[in-house]
Amino acid sequence: MDNFEPLDPLLHSQLRLAVMSLLISLEDAEFTFIKEKTQATAGNLSVQLDKLDQAGYISISKSFKGKRPLTTCKITTTGIKAFEAYVLALKKYLP
Amino acid sequence: MKEELTHQESLDLITEMIKQAKRNVAKGGSKQILLWGWTIALANFGHYFLAMAGIPSPYIIWLITIPAAVTSAVIGTKMRQRGATGHIDSVYAKVWIAAGVSIVICLSMMHKINFNHNAVILLIAGMGMFITGSLLRFTPILLGSFVLWLAALISFNLPEIQQYIVAGSAIILGYLIPGYLLKRAERG
Repeated sequence: MDNFEPLDPLLHSQLRLAVMSLLISLEDAEFTFIKEKTQATAGNLSVQLDKLDQAGYISISKSFKGKRPLTTCKITTTGIKAFEAYVLALKKYLP
Repeated sequence: MKEELTHQESLDLITEMIKQAKRNVAKGGSKQILLWGWTIALANFGHYFLAMAGIPSPYIIWLITIPAAVTSAVIGTKMRQRGATGHIDSVYAKVWIAAGVSIVICLSMMHKINFNHNAVILLIAGMGMFITGSLLRFTPILLGSFVLWLAALISFNLPEIQQYIVAGSAIILGYLIPGYLLKRAERG
């Protein structure tokens, strides 16, 4: 019988899961792209990205596009492993 | 956005976001194919007809690849400005950069390969199309690679000047037509 593993609390949140699901399919994505796709507010998205960054699930790089600041996010190897583990655990909960 | 998710909602969210990412980045490749398809086809036919008309230095027609390269770089930059790079986009770009470098080396050494450069370029383009078709999972592009390889085989057995006609025709059949089919698929 399958054990019901607890779901990673960092990923089991709508916005953070949405961000990780986007980034798992991409090489990298800009802040504005993630904001548009997740329909989150800039403030909330910044907070959640910081949490994912602190956990080592994503890496955030800051640069400039012309004169405008540019924030680019990329999923890390730790993030990929955590996401895969989350999906595996999730499968066990579903009928 | 709410914090608590049911398990089904989690799964639906993952699926939707992956779909969103795919939808956004896997488009736009046809622009590059059409740009280079028309440029190379025109240069091949142009070279043949200028040579047949007795015009000296018919290879001057290949200068049209310079504005094409500039336009290609602009298209590439615009594609990047969509805010995200997909895994396929990244590999796709690298395949054609590798093909471009190989073609330039081949052209610079054309005297060493007995002026069979058209045939070799068709081989390289066929390989690029085969990998692109496999990455995009788009059969017309895959089939296009076989047209280019067949044209390479024919070209190896023809005099240099006739190779331009074969190459121009192969680019229309094996490169431009699949490119237009891809453009239609991207719209759908």
